[in-house]
Amino acid sequence: MSMIEFHDVQKFYGHFHALHDINLKIDQGETVVLIGPSGSGKSTLVRTVNGLESIQKGQLIVNNHDLSDPKTDLNILRRDVGMVFQHFNLYKNKDVLENIMLAPRIVSHMPEKENKEQAMHLLEMVGLEKWAHNMPSQISGGQKQRVAIARTLAMRPKLILYDEPTSALDPEMIDDVLQVIKKVTTDSGMTSLIVTHEMGFAKEVANRVIFMDQGRIVEDDASESFFKRPKTERAQQFLSKIISH
Amino acid sequence: MQNWINALSWLNVRFLLMGLWVTIYISVISVILSFILGSILGIIRYSKIKFVSKIVGFIIDIIRNVPLLLIIFFTYFGLPNFGLRPETIPAAIIAMTVFESTMIAEIVRSGIQSVDPGQMEGARSTGMSFVQALWHVVLPQAYKNMIPTIISQFVSLIKDTSLATIIVVPELMQHAQVIYGQNANYILPMFAALAVLYFIVCFTLSVIGNQIGKRLS
Repeated sequence: MSMIEFHDVQKFYGHFHALHDINLKIDQGETVVLIGPSGSGKSTLVRTVNGLESIQKGQLIVNNHDLSDPKTDLNILRRDVGMVFQHFNLYKNKDVLENIMLAPRIVSHMPEKENKEQAMHLLEMVGLEKWAHNMPSQISGGQKQRVAIARTLAMRPKLILYDEPTSALDPEMIDDVLQVIKKVTTDSGMTSLIVTHEMGFAKEVANRVIFMDQGRIVEDDASESFFKRPKTERAQQFLSKIISH
Repeated sequence: MQNWINALSWLNVRFLLMGLWVTIYISVISVILSFILGSILGIIRYSKIKFVSKIVGFIIDIIRNVPLLLIIFFTYFGLPNFGLRPETIPAAIIAMTVFESTMIAEIVRSGIQSVDPGQMEGARSTGMSFVQALWHVVLPQAYKNMIPTIISQFVSLIKDTSLATIIVVPELMQHAQVIYGQNANYILPMFAALAVLYFIVCFTLSVIGNQIGKRLS
């Protein structure tokens, strides 16, 4: 069963051709890491998957919803497709617990008691149960990102998109967040699509690596063979630069 | 000195306070109506429904760039041509509400735009609709930032109600005119009384606004 299918997808910003001829199939349960230089279209590609960015041509099917069809209800699609952002995007007007409980309450109409129990359980999982009643402004970046992951999990999604989840963090915070993501991806059987610059992490969690450059998918391979022996020169170049320091 | 004592006799002061009551009455109703209407217009302007947003924007631009006095004239002398004959006080309320709503709409729109777009994206990515995301996440943050601007807009509204004297609304300004119309020596005392009364009302509102602003931040 495939979770995401891109068929000849094109994305333009005005005249700028941001995504070229994207063809990609991701199966349920896969953990796919998306890497490439900045400006290569990784974030744009991930954001098309839950409709935060529209596509101009081709067909995109996610969890059996056709995003190329304007009649598709994105709100319904997004219930099953979580997203973790580079800048966390926690609701600044709500405390940590409320951040997690809001969507289950108003989108899935989960009973209040169950919702609260689930939220506390998720906070325990990310190691932040003591911070339940703090405002987002009172916790660190790494903690914010862990709350954001808990918030995403609260909707019990089938697919989680991670858009550079550690790029805005101080170096010593990165590991905690990566540990949580690793736990989520390996425990759950959920499908994950992760944009990251953390190559060590990519190697560890990914079944499959997609390398992008200038809006195109340049290489799409099993994680192990990609990191051992990248096929294209562009990917070799990229890896040698990243790993050399 | 005797002029001032005569001008500020209890009878005259009571007459002024009756005018002040009408001023406050018009202001409070216009503030409430224009806050609601202005918020709705501001949200429509912000929304991505392009066609409606453009039309609303066009109407707002026209009203904002026309003198309030003209709008007051229009509601009182113009509307009867369309079969509506509002009394003076409702006419003033309609005019103030129409004018202030466009001001509030622009404040609301820029207030919403000043909230980090990530807040909207974060909320939408969990499956919330545009309206749910606005209501639970974006608007509470936007209004918090907007409070000082909105309060000062309402202070101008109160002062602007004095323009309604032109259609003989029995508000504060008009009552003062009635008093000094009887005796030219009362002009200065009446101006002083007007200044003090408007100041007390507007300054109190500003102080309340600042207190709310402080408590929220």
